[in-house]
Amino acid sequence: MQLLPKNFDNRESLTDFVAALAPWAAGGPSHIQGGRQSAEKMLARVDPVAYGRTRNFGDGKITGLSPYIHHGILSLNEVRNHALSRCGEPVQITKFLQELAWRDFWQRLLSAHPEWAWDDIEPYKTGFSASDYAGVLPADIADGKTGVACIDAFIKELIQTGYVHNHARMYLASYVVHFRRVKWQAGAQWFLHHLLDGDLASNNFSWQWVASTFSHKPYLFNLENVSKYFGRQVDASPQNNQPLHASYETLQEQLFPNLSRSL
Amino acid sequence: MNPALICLHEDALRITHPIFKFAPTGTKAIYVWDDEYLRRANYSLKRLVFLYETLCDLPVDVVRGATRTVVMAMTPAMLYVPATNNPSLLSLFAGISPATPLTFVDDDIFAVMEKTSEARRFFQYWSKVERSAFLHNGGALA
Repeated sequence: MQLLPKNFDNRESLTDFVAALAPWAAGGPSHIQGGRQSAEKMLARVDPVAYGRTRNFGDGKITGLSPYIHHGILSLNEVRNHALSRCGEPVQITKFLQELAWRDFWQRLLSAHPEWAWDDIEPYKTGFSASDYAGVLPADIADGKTGVACIDAFIKELIQTGYVHNHARMYLASYVVHFRRVKWQAGAQWFLHHLLDGDLASNNFSWQWVASTFSHKPYLFNLENVSKYFGRQVDASPQNNQPLHASYETLQEQLFPNLSRSL
Repeated sequence: MNPALICLHEDALRITHPIFKFAPTGTKAIYVWDDEYLRRANYSLKRLVFLYETLCDLPVDVVRGATRTVVMAMTPAMLYVPATNNPSLLSLFAGISPATPLTFVDDDIFAVMEKTSEARRFFQYWSKVERSAFLHNGGALA
């Protein structure tokens, strides 16, 4: 039993100390800092009305609060109360409140069904069975070297910062499960390793939602969608993102051929 | 035997958590830096640095050791732990509870469910909590 220090000269010395405590932990620190003071600064910047209009865009007014909410540094109640104080009419922040509610929903589900955290809640609705999916994340995905420019950019952000825009997380999950046919569990473990807000309920149930094991259909995206929402942040050129450069109808046929045949 | 003890964990790292009002005034609070738990969780260094920075901001002792060993050595008459649904954390604390009385303390609610039946899809859930979600404190103190 050892009382650990809490005062450090700078962030570098804190990081060195933690690295010595956990020599098995890979990588370096994120630029995102922990602690209540950082959380309060982020909370003060929240614009819940603009969030509703722009949250799906890479440069939208997202909050970045999820690492603080995951660790209970901020409660959902506190964030909601703050948002209510920053709007004229509560109806203006409906989308913002719904996003908080998604987290509450996932938490309630995990409390009621802990076994759902890692089990397929429902069968895949892709024309494939679970055994058709690989159980291990391919190395090129783990390393961000898939050759698909936008996907590699999102992975680089995941590895370096431990934070990825929610819309980009859906792209990554869809790419892993549907374009590469890898079990959602492998992707969920990968995210939990890296994400500062890595939360068993929110993370795993979101992966299941994308995979279609907890939704009515698989979540798909194409390059046109990436270009619309992230065209200013990543390389969304067709030549560097070939696998994604197709219509939804074409992707549906390519990725889920068994569904097409059964129609 | 010592008085009560609050043991925080990675899901509840703030001094305004209801546990600090629920436990007797002056109850000592600790966070256990449990190497084996963190290694099993397979967290990257950036996650651990974020966690440690958060702990440095909290007025609690950070004690390195196995959770069960640390808590048992302090021989608390009652152990208070923030409620969690994290199976790994629950299993950590399950190893303590036979010997030490343990109380889980819920966080502030976000919303009150109008019907108790389970909502399997989000919009079923939303229809049951929408009114409460728009209210300060979820309407809990109204």
